[in-house]
Parts: sequence; C-alpha cells; structure tokens
Amino acid sequence: MLGSTSLPLKRFIFSRSLSSKAILPDFKTISQGSKYSPDFKQYLRMPNGNTGSFFHDVPLGLNTENSTVNMVVEIPRWSNAKFEISKETKLNPIIQDTKKGKLRFVNNIFPFKGYMHNYGAIPQTWEDPTTEEFEGLGLKGDNDPLDCCEIGSKVLNMGDIKKVKILGSLGLIDDGELDWKIIVIDIRDPIADKINTLVDVDKNMPNLLHHTREWFRNYKVPQGKPKNEFAFNENYLDVKETISIIQKCNHSWNKLISGKGLNSFKAKPETQRTSDNTKEMDNIQPSSPVPAETKIWHYV
Amino acid sequence: MVYTTRQIGAKNTLDYKVYIEEDGKPISAFHDIPLYADKENNIFNMIVEIPRWTNAKLEINKEQPLNPIIQDTKKGKLRFVRNCFPHHGYIHNYGALPQTWEDPNEAHPETKAVGDDDPIDVLEIGEAIAYTGEIKQVKALGIMALLDEGETDWKVVAIDVRDPLAPKMNDIEDVEKYFPGLLKATNEWFRIYKIPDGKPENQFAFSGEAKNKKYALDIIKETHESWKKLIEGKSADSKGISLVSTTLKDVPTFSTAVGESIPAAHVLADAPIDKSIDKWFFISGSA
Repeated sequence: MLGSTSLPLKRFIFSRSLSSKAILPDFKTISQGSKYSPDFKQYLRMPNGNTGSFFHDVPLGLNTENSTVNMVVEIPRWSNAKFEISKETKLNPIIQDTKKGKLRFVNNIFPFKGYMHNYGAIPQTWEDPTTEEFEGLGLKGDNDPLDCCEIGSKVLNMGDIKKVKILGSLGLIDDGELDWKIIVIDIRDPIADKINTLVDVDKNMPNLLHHTREWFRNYKVPQGKPKNEFAFNENYLDVKETISIIQKCNHSWNKLISGKGLNSFKAKPETQRTSDNTKEMDNIQPSSPVPAETKIWHYV
Repeated sequence: MVYTTRQIGAKNTLDYKVYIEEDGKPISAFHDIPLYADKENNIFNMIVEIPRWTNAKLEINKEQPLNPIIQDTKKGKLRFVRNCFPHHGYIHNYGALPQTWEDPNEAHPETKAVGDDDPIDVLEIGEAIAYTGEIKQVKALGIMALLDEGETDWKVVAIDVRDPLAPKMNDIEDVEKYFPGLLKATNEWFRIYKIPDGKPENQFAFSGEAKNKKYALDIIKETHESWKKLIEGKSADSKGISLVSTTLKDVPTFSTAVGESIPAAHVLADAPIDKSIDKWFFISGSA
C-alpha cells in the first residue's frame, strides 16, 4: 500500500486551498428527450457554449502528486438506469445503455438499492480492446473509458464533472473482459481530507470495499449470468498502481484519438471533438416510467 | 371494502396528511379498519406508513381526530431516518396493524418492558414497493421484540397475500429460505438506526431471535384486546389518544360529524428532501 508520512499533510493543504475557488472550468450539460426512453441524450456543454464530448473534451486532469483526476458522473448512487457515455454516438452524449433493444437497468441486489456508488468514467482514458492491458493477464480492455466509483457522502448528478481523489482499483473481469473499477472520492466531500488510501476507506467506511467487490461479483446473476471474477486474486490495487493504470489508459486514449494502428479495428469509438460547428440544444421531455423490475429485490 | 386515501399538502412538509377513506368518507386509520381481513385464515389488514427505500418517518398520528398519517417531527423539524450502510432508508414496507395498541400501562411478561403506546408495527417484506396509506392484506409470519429506548416495540414480519411468494410463506423459517439474510439485516437495522442521531444501540429481546407465526398471532391478539379496552374507554390511561371512530357505533366516541370536518383532498407535488439525508452512515461493527 502506498504511504509516506509527509504525503497526507501535503494533500490536506492542497485540497483546502482549492475549495475556496472554482476547481474546474464551467462545464454544463444539454439534455434532450425523455429520461428512461431510447431517445434520451445528455451532452456536455463547453464553457464557450459549444457542445463537447464527455469522453474526449473533459480533460483527464491527472495530478500524480495529489493523486487527483477528473470524473464524469453517469449514474447517481441508489439509482438503477444504466446511463453511460455513448461510444457510438457523435460527441459521446450520456445515453441509457440497451441490451437486445431493451433499455438496461441494474437489478437491486440485496441489501443494496441500485448502484451503491456514484458511478462514472474518467475522461480521456480508454481500455484498449486491441491489446492485453497487463502482461500475463491475457485479458483485453472493454473498449470503454475507465469506470470509477465515487464513495463520498453526497448523491451526485448525471453529467457532473468532479475532481476526485484516487484511492485504489479493482480488476473486474466482466463477461471475460478486463474492466477496471477505480475507487475515488470527491475532493470536496466533507471527509475527503481524511481519506487518502484504501486503508483509510476501511477505517472510515467499514465494509464498503468488501461490499463493493460482492456487488460487482453478483450484479448480473439475476439476469442468468455467472458470477463475475476478479484479476489479482480479487485484491484491490493501491494508489500508485492505480495511477499507472490511468496513465496507461490515457496513452491508449491518445492512440484512439490519433487512430494509429486501429485501421482493422471495427468497433472504434466515435472520436469527434468539440468545435464551433457543434451546437446541440436543450429539449428535455418529461421522464418515462421505469419498469416494475427496478422495484424488486434480488437475493443472490 | 374499498379503501382510498385523502392527501392534504405536499409530502416532506409539516402540512402533509393522509387520511384513509372508506367509500369516499374519512375513517380513523387507527380504529376503523378491521384488524382481521379474514379471521379464519389469519389474514390481517395492514396500513402502510413508509414505503421501502424511503427515509421520511411517516406514522399514524394518535392525537388528531381520525388519526391521519403525518410525518413525525423532532423539536419542530421533520424526522427522516438516516441511511446506515449498507441500507438505504427503510428496508421493508413499514406500517401498522389497525385496532391494536401496545399498552404503555402494562409490562409484557417476557420482555419485562411496557408497550410503546402505538399500534403494533408491521414489516411487510413482499417485492412490491407500497405507498403511504395503502391498505394491504398480509400474512403474519413471525415477530421480533425490539426494545426501543426501554419500551417493547413488537415488529410483526408479514407478507402481502398477493406477493408471488406468499403461497410458499407460512412461518418464520420460510423468510430465511426465500429471503436469505433479510432477518439478519432487519435485526441489524433496528439495532443501529438511531445511532446517527446520537442515541445508543437498541436491543432485541429473545437474543434477537424472531419468534414464529404462532407467537406472532398471540401477540397480535393481545394488542387487539388492549385496543378494545382503549376504544371502550376502559384503559387505565389513554394517553391523549383520539378515539373518535366514524364506523364503530357501539363505542362512546362514535361520531359521524367528525368526518365532515376533514378538509377536502389537496394534493401538492412532493417537496424536495434536504440533501443531507443522502448521507450514508457507517456504523462500526455493522454490515
């Protein structure tokens, strides 16, 4: 586990001095369609008013000294709808994922209601599906930005851009693909100053990490899928190792954006970025009803 | 019997009230709904106060005429239960059995603690999320004896008769069989739920064990007898409870006029809940 006696103090001063002023550019969102319907889209609105891509136009913001990075919130804690940055849609809005033409909702896995974290993605990262991320693992990436789980006390909103502290990561093997889950906390959370490592998480939020692993192990079981497995003997990786994963996935994203060596790759994500010609308009409709299935508990 | 609800005001405000109506006329949620929906088969009527996964502490008000469901307050502020990890709000559809009373004048022979002065509480475990004021027909499966701040506070474990699993659920052991972990979670939930408010951990009688169906039926019967004494005006101390009934012609507090004085329905959109209620509390030793 990463740790030195001087580091936490430095981080403390850093985050306190930041909290008095804006820490990120003024990103907003543009919403269209009816939530919980196939036509719903939420785009990123750049500070200059143009439409941007959550995937490519929000800076990574990695600070290795303070272990912070930017996060795009896709799914608020305790909700069920599987919203995610669309790889296929131009400018990568957040949409609700579908499976076999049906909108995807995660099941409630007892004792949890919906997602147990504020769930989202790290911009300007890509889990490369064309190479094996880690030698010896024999696993390819899932062709998505890195996923992250924010564990702070607030319920965050879809489309929020947050500066978060990197705490560790879990190597989920989801349907045979490597799908890292980066554990983070909003630097503005009231207890963020006390949380610098996974040891601190265990101390301040007992059992959260245990339940996180069990949640990801079981969350597809109600759909008839087997339990998921984890790389690294199910262990969490520490801050330093996690930063190196983020760096690797940022390099992969650079490769994606450049397109080099990806000519034969068929499922390449949409890489268009913001420009003066990209202007989506707000056109939000009333939400659609959510299926009754999201209201029941599954005992796995 | 067709029961409906009459809502006044916005949820999550001090004005919010839900009256129960029978054939469109206000009745008392406490006194006018029969305890037994089907006595022979031990099917009870349950009044839902709090839907699963919500935080607002809604309950049948004892003092106001016809005992509407309102949100409990503490020092003038609306009461919300805090989220204790890994739980989110209440983990059951929470409510009460009408025509029951846990008599605060009498100590229970086994728990050695007096009743909590409320109708007996019910934890409905079926898959559907109920709504405030819903009258469900439930099967009692067992009972737990919470000792909440020194009072006996029975929790009947029950399931809606319409739940897909209801035909298979006949006694307390079926709960563990079909809802593995739920009784343990229930035990933990009630022990710790007031800790975030600075209160000590609650205790359960019987070492936390849930008693079986037969035991539950006996306790329900006892609390029904206590209620009968109460409504007939024969209780040692009725603790300021409004005993007005619009349907029980033989009780001294029968009145049809009170129903006329209840305001008409006035439904307003839910008020927002303060963001601080979203916090998850991590109680060491739980989960």
